[in-house]
Amino acid sequence: MVKREIDIAVIGGGAAGLAAAIKAKEKGIENVVILERNEELGGILPQCIHTGFGLRYFKENLTGPGYISRFIKKAEDLQIESKLDTMVLEITSDKKIIAVNSVDGMLELRAKAIVLAMGCRERTRGALGIAGTRPAGILTAGTAQRLMDIEGYMPGAKVVILGSGDVGLIMARRFVMEGAKVEAVVEILPYASGLSRNVVQCLEDFNIPLLLEHTVTSVHGIDRVEAVTVAKVDADWKPIQKTERTIECDTLILSVGLIPENELSQTAGIVLDPATGGPVVNEHMETSVQGVFGCGNVVHVYDLVDQVTQAGELAGESAARYVLNELPPLRKKIALKAGDNVKSVAPQIISGQEPVILHLRVKKPMRNVKVKMGNLSIPKRVVRPPEMVVINLTEKALEKLEKRDELEVSVEEENGP
Amino acid sequence: MKKKEVRVMTCIICPVGCRTRVTIEDGKITEIEGLECPRGEEYVRRELEAPVRDFFTTVRIKGAAIPVLPVRSTQPIPKDKILDCVLELANVVVDAPVEAGEIIVRNPLGLEVDIIATRDLDRVKER
Repeated sequence: MVKREIDIAVIGGGAAGLAAAIKAKEKGIENVVILERNEELGGILPQCIHTGFGLRYFKENLTGPGYISRFIKKAEDLQIESKLDTMVLEITSDKKIIAVNSVDGMLELRAKAIVLAMGCRERTRGALGIAGTRPAGILTAGTAQRLMDIEGYMPGAKVVILGSGDVGLIMARRFVMEGAKVEAVVEILPYASGLSRNVVQCLEDFNIPLLLEHTVTSVHGIDRVEAVTVAKVDADWKPIQKTERTIECDTLILSVGLIPENELSQTAGIVLDPATGGPVVNEHMETSVQGVFGCGNVVHVYDLVDQVTQAGELAGESAARYVLNELPPLRKKIALKAGDNVKSVAPQIISGQEPVILHLRVKKPMRNVKVKMGNLSIPKRVVRPPEMVVINLTEKALEKLEKRDELEVSVEEENGP
Repeated sequence: MKKKEVRVMTCIICPVGCRTRVTIEDGKITEIEGLECPRGEEYVRRELEAPVRDFFTTVRIKGAAIPVLPVRSTQPIPKDKILDCVLELANVVVDAPVEAGEIIVRNPLGLEVDIIATRDLDRVKER
């Protein structure tokens, strides 16, 4: 078995991992190694051939491949080592990493710091429990995207999409552009789960019906999908009888949520937050295990890659400071808890002494609200579940903040109590 | 008699996403209701008068590690030309290597844009 000692191991070479590795190297850390299970760097971006990336970070409108290639080139210029086709099997709380690939065989890396950047994966049919047969032709939106835009296959000709997440909306447009018919996008909630620009430019532009408060109740077909049954649902998401109808199709695409991929975090005994599905992190993106940092969609699922890059840079910088003995533990710990109409908040632990950007996910859409955090109150005109609420806690805001051990973050009506 | 039409649109300029009702008489916008800011009005006018979209798709590539090359237009194109432009590119096959930014199709359909590659694809040895 190959055994090596390194400074920083970055697990995952997507947007978060690349940003972290680049930042750490720029901070003067010599031995940074990216471990990536795919055969190329870039994570999900190479298959996101649409535009809309980089509007914030580069102030340019780039495609996914265009955005990520800038980071891949930078990592190459900085001579950051990356091990591709390499699967990490286990990490331990004393920062030992067991990985495997077909060149080195088994690898044991001992790192001074680890950055977790494994991203997320898609929820599948099994997580939903849709009744019916199990034919070919049921795919997650990201799988369909990879088949079409990397591997050059056309996954179907007559398509129903369940869930209105962004990847599902993007794929609705791609299917139409490649000559398929998209019969409907079916969403259980009373509003779309994706960004409104995607609802307009992917569905309305191509006259694709969006069936809100509907779901797929059954799949038909033996070898291949032949049809699905859709029904209207009530307020408890229960299908309403006699509203069922059958839509003929050969493909059912699922865009029903993303799950941070934390099996490895668990092998190291890292504490996870049930609300985000990712590790609990502090304002330095450090997890409950000292010297192990997390960033990007493995921590919580972001809206925009620009925000993932930013989180990666913060985690990379923190990991570098940790290796250089320049990252003291937080002097005070304030635990942030999700309150009314807040599904999740990250980071979950702050010191109250350094400026920090908080990301909230709300449970339901509301207008004219205030985000309350202890004695702080920040007005917002609109909050919607698909769009993360960003709270910039500046030094000035922190001066006023009552620093209790635990603070609830809630979203309330402006005229409420 | 005047031809009157009411269109319901969502503004996508910011996360507020104003739902707006636009009244069009004889092809002219006569009333816009439901917007909260002037940027929305500009968006609505552009969307109704000359809507454009970024254009992107893939074309076939030979000799690379993967069989398709992602491409985009250098400028947005008229919304109603998207499907025509896809068809125009349907039979394009390029040879690796290709570099990001390389022009793949010059001025398709006279739209005064070029179609460029959005990633590098090296030439790989035949397996």
